[in-house]
Amino acid sequence: MKIGLACPYTWDVPGGVQAHVRDLAESLLEAGHEVSVITPVDDESALPPYAVDAGRAVPVPYNGSVARLLMGPVSAARVRRWLREHDFDVLHAHEPTAPSISLLACMLADGPLVATFHTSNPRSRMLTAAQVALQPSFEKLRARIAVSEAARRTLVEHLGTGAILIPNGVAVRAFEGARPLPGYGGSGDGNGDSATGAGAGAPTVVFLGRIDEPRKGLDVLMAAFPMLVERVPDARLLVAGPGDTAAVRARIDRSLVDRVDLIGLVPEADKPAVFASGSVYCAPNTGQESFGIVLLEAMAAGTPVMASDIDAFRRVLDDGRAGRLFGVGEPAELAAGLADLLRDPAERARLVERGRSVVMSYDWRVVTQRIVSVYEMVSGDRPVSVAATDES
Amino acid sequence: MTVVVAVVVLVVMTATYLTWLASRLDRLASRVDAARSGLVVQLLARAEAAQTLARRYELSELATAAESARAGHTALLADAARPSVAARSSDAARSSDAAPQPADAAPSAGAGLDSAAEDAENALSRALRSSAVVAVGRETPEAVAALDAAAARVALARQFHNDAVGDVRSLAGRRIVRVLHLAGRRPLPAYFEIDDALPVRGDGPPHPEGEAAVFGT
Repeated sequence: MKIGLACPYTWDVPGGVQAHVRDLAESLLEAGHEVSVITPVDDESALPPYAVDAGRAVPVPYNGSVARLLMGPVSAARVRRWLREHDFDVLHAHEPTAPSISLLACMLADGPLVATFHTSNPRSRMLTAAQVALQPSFEKLRARIAVSEAARRTLVEHLGTGAILIPNGVAVRAFEGARPLPGYGGSGDGNGDSATGAGAGAPTVVFLGRIDEPRKGLDVLMAAFPMLVERVPDARLLVAGPGDTAAVRARIDRSLVDRVDLIGLVPEADKPAVFASGSVYCAPNTGQESFGIVLLEAMAAGTPVMASDIDAFRRVLDDGRAGRLFGVGEPAELAAGLADLLRDPAERARLVERGRSVVMSYDWRVVTQRIVSVYEMVSGDRPVSVAATDES
Repeated sequence: MTVVVAVVVLVVMTATYLTWLASRLDRLASRVDAARSGLVVQLLARAEAAQTLARRYELSELATAAESARAGHTALLADAARPSVAARSSDAARSSDAAPQPADAAPSAGAGLDSAAEDAENALSRALRSSAVVAVGRETPEAVAALDAAAARVALARQFHNDAVGDVRSLAGRRIVRVLHLAGRRPLPAYFEIDDALPVRGDGPPHPEGEAAVFGT
């Protein structure tokens, strides 16, 4: 199939939507489809061969953060040319609620159009106010996809339309068979030589996330750690993520300080190794997350998960069958759960096994297949064209 | 002179706006037609997958339900294949002063997706969740995989269809559209409401398509 993807935000600025579009595009290419992405970009040399430059985007405050949006005659001309040159079987716009290249593509195109909605909690007044302006473009969408239940609810409540649910994908292959960082033992789940207790491996709990963002819950884990050490005397803690490491270190009890490794921000490529370095991955988040992608990444790396009992995590962990849940913000419960897991290799192996089968349904290869089946259901009668009435 | 110019400008703007509304309605009508044909195709596929399974495992209740669901589809398919004249009649003629066009006598495509069809499909959905089928699924998961996939696609197609219907009804319900009969005499399309929740298979992790159960609005 010939597929056109429209990405609303600047390609070379890190962000969830951009990562989603990139992974989807590459996964579609791998499955043998023809793909072209149109996206704003700051530095054109950052674009992969399958992407087309829509111009520089203007930073605009949107939905609590700075989005880089793009709409204007130059971009409109580029979108029209892109549509004419490619003759797509289907056009897939991402997050077309923002005034962006995605919305522009919906306005200018006619034919089999699909959109994916990522945002779960936009400023409702803004979206409701924009509804009248968005309606004519949204009427063309033959399929609407939401990446989470929260994103779907936002659509239903503010735009009065339904959507199907297809979750974000996880690049399982990048995490499979990950090796621990030097000096760590890993989860002992069958990586053979890295079994817990053999060689370097002391039982290790891993945390990954911003260390000074209270919603990520590092404080809960830090409060649980002394209680954990009482039960598992050789337990260690590996904390990865950006933030003020000195401030975190200053709050650790002096007798425990050499059992906690604060390694700061890790590059994306090292994430699998960080997960693989732990006997257990702990996600003590206290705020609502819309989707537990980091849990899936840990499970893909073969590390059992202990997470706080919030909706998104409960869903991903299959109600606690694919990972342990503990009461949100309850250090004592967390410490007891971690101690149980660290002392029970059989239980860990069982969770890893469960985790793997859960993860497979979120693998980009599987998610892409589901998206392609949506493409197939809405396309086929005619290719995407430039709308005849777009000048009105 | 200026008054004349102002009146002319106003008339042109009004005509442009109304033509634009009418073209949106036409576009929506063809989207509903396409979504409805897509839905019929998926319903047929589900009924056929159910028949195959019923034959293989001698499930008489499922066979009956599948047959009666399928029986309706031959007519539906013929309907869906007939291009809706209403959707193709888009031209600027239907602007401010034009009388509503005498609407085509042909029923809109897939008009057979009525409550009788809904009943038949509901009966099939129930049969698919019956203990006999669940037992087959438990013993030989691969035997029901094709059926589950077809059922998941029905849920998708139904969502696409009902979203399209919702969009038409929202625009056609506007006062200006009703007063000026911009939608011609096309009857308002109806939602297709059936219970298409997927059966739960075992206690393992959810089937990749398993979220279909929460697709409904």
